[in-house]
Amino acid sequence: MGSRRSFLPALAGLLLLALAAGVQAQAGTGSATPIPAPPQRWLSDTAGLLSPATAAELDSRLEAYERSSGHQVVVYIGTTTGVIPIEDWAAKAFAAWRVGRKGLDDGLVLFIMAADKRVRIEVGYGLEGVVPDALAGRIINDEMVPRLQAGDSDGAVRAAVERLFAIVSGDEAAAGGAEEPGTKPSRPLTLFEKVLIGIGVLFFLILLITNPSLAIYLLFSILSGGRGGGGGGGFSGGGGRSGGGGASGSW
Amino acid sequence: MKKLLLGPLGILIGLVVVLGLWVMSAYNGLVSLDQKALSQWAQVENAYQRRADLIPNLVETVKGAAAFEKETFTAVTEARSKVGQVQLGSNPASDPAAFAKFQQAQDGLSSALSRLMVVVEKYPDLKATQNFRDLQVQLEGTENRISVERMRFNEAAQAFNTKRLRFPTVIIANFLGARYQEKAYFKSQAGAETAPKVQF
Repeated sequence: MGSRRSFLPALAGLLLLALAAGVQAQAGTGSATPIPAPPQRWLSDTAGLLSPATAAELDSRLEAYERSSGHQVVVYIGTTTGVIPIEDWAAKAFAAWRVGRKGLDDGLVLFIMAADKRVRIEVGYGLEGVVPDALAGRIINDEMVPRLQAGDSDGAVRAAVERLFAIVSGDEAAAGGAEEPGTKPSRPLTLFEKVLIGIGVLFFLILLITNPSLAIYLLFSILSGGRGGGGGGGFSGGGGRSGGGGASGSW
Repeated sequence: MKKLLLGPLGILIGLVVVLGLWVMSAYNGLVSLDQKALSQWAQVENAYQRRADLIPNLVETVKGAAAFEKETFTAVTEARSKVGQVQLGSNPASDPAAFAKFQQAQDGLSSALSRLMVVVEKYPDLKATQNFRDLQVQLEGTENRISVERMRFNEAAQAFNTKRLRFPTVIIANFLGARYQEKAYFKSQAGAETAPKVQF
């Protein structure tokens, strides 16, 4: 009887050891969470961190913000990034989702990894001057971390989004609205470009005669591709890029 | 008679035209990949420059609170001036010697900076100031930018190298001289490959 008593804890200890070894092996050779497909909404909460009401409210505010200012500000809440640090994961996700307008690179994504307890603000190249790392760090450390630690994740995300709106819009007003949102700087076409367009039109006309169905398909795909971030119901990236700017924190 | 002459000549001309077109497209492909790698290299340099620009401010801030750590400051300042001394040619990515020197100098600065941040751990008062916290975030941000741009440079270099070293293109590339040499890659710093510890 006595020997059996001492056997049980030993067995439990062995099991625990095996488990620990397994966890370690997983951490060593385990995989990084693959970058998900571009989110359909401005706020996506795959971890269920926010209450549905807050998520819906913030999502519609983010959507309205893009419609009015042109800036794509996106919140993505996941569980874990796997073995790779959130910084690398965020840069890759930003590149894959192409947040922000092409050429302006004025997108911004707030990443929250609920199981890792990590936060990252990844700033597009074009917003690095408006949202410098130090400011992004303050949003995380002053607004988000204390609330997240207290369990108020709704408040944390709401406060962060509000601060980000204020910073991004405020700086634009201060700069005297140098760039009207939604308009691209246009310049007259050079002769070379005119010739190119002419060749393109000619090619299309030839195609229209020889293979009308393919030509019409091409026309449709070009038109729907060009619409990009604007129309439609959900979020879609506009072709912006980021280069690791921003800040991260943990709670 | 005429037909007989036109036959072989026509085939020859056709072959020359096809060959010419192929050389052109292979060369243009190399040029565009080279340009991509070059512009990505500029991004890498930008990120490193950003870090170098941050250092005087950082050193001043830390000096105010931790005046006794003179050696650490001089190490950082020296490493920074070494980075400034590295002479880069017009296409450093294709010059392995310049590339190695550049990376060595930057790695020296990285380790001097990380020693400085270790020293700072002894000064909780300094760590608590908003100014220092901002600087710390900025430094982390620059290091992160460096790693992102380095990774993208490696991708661009790989795309170029793959094209350059593949069979038919390699014949052309070998005629093109130093500029279209194989590009070097950034390697992780010695010690960075040790696996992170798991804590329960």
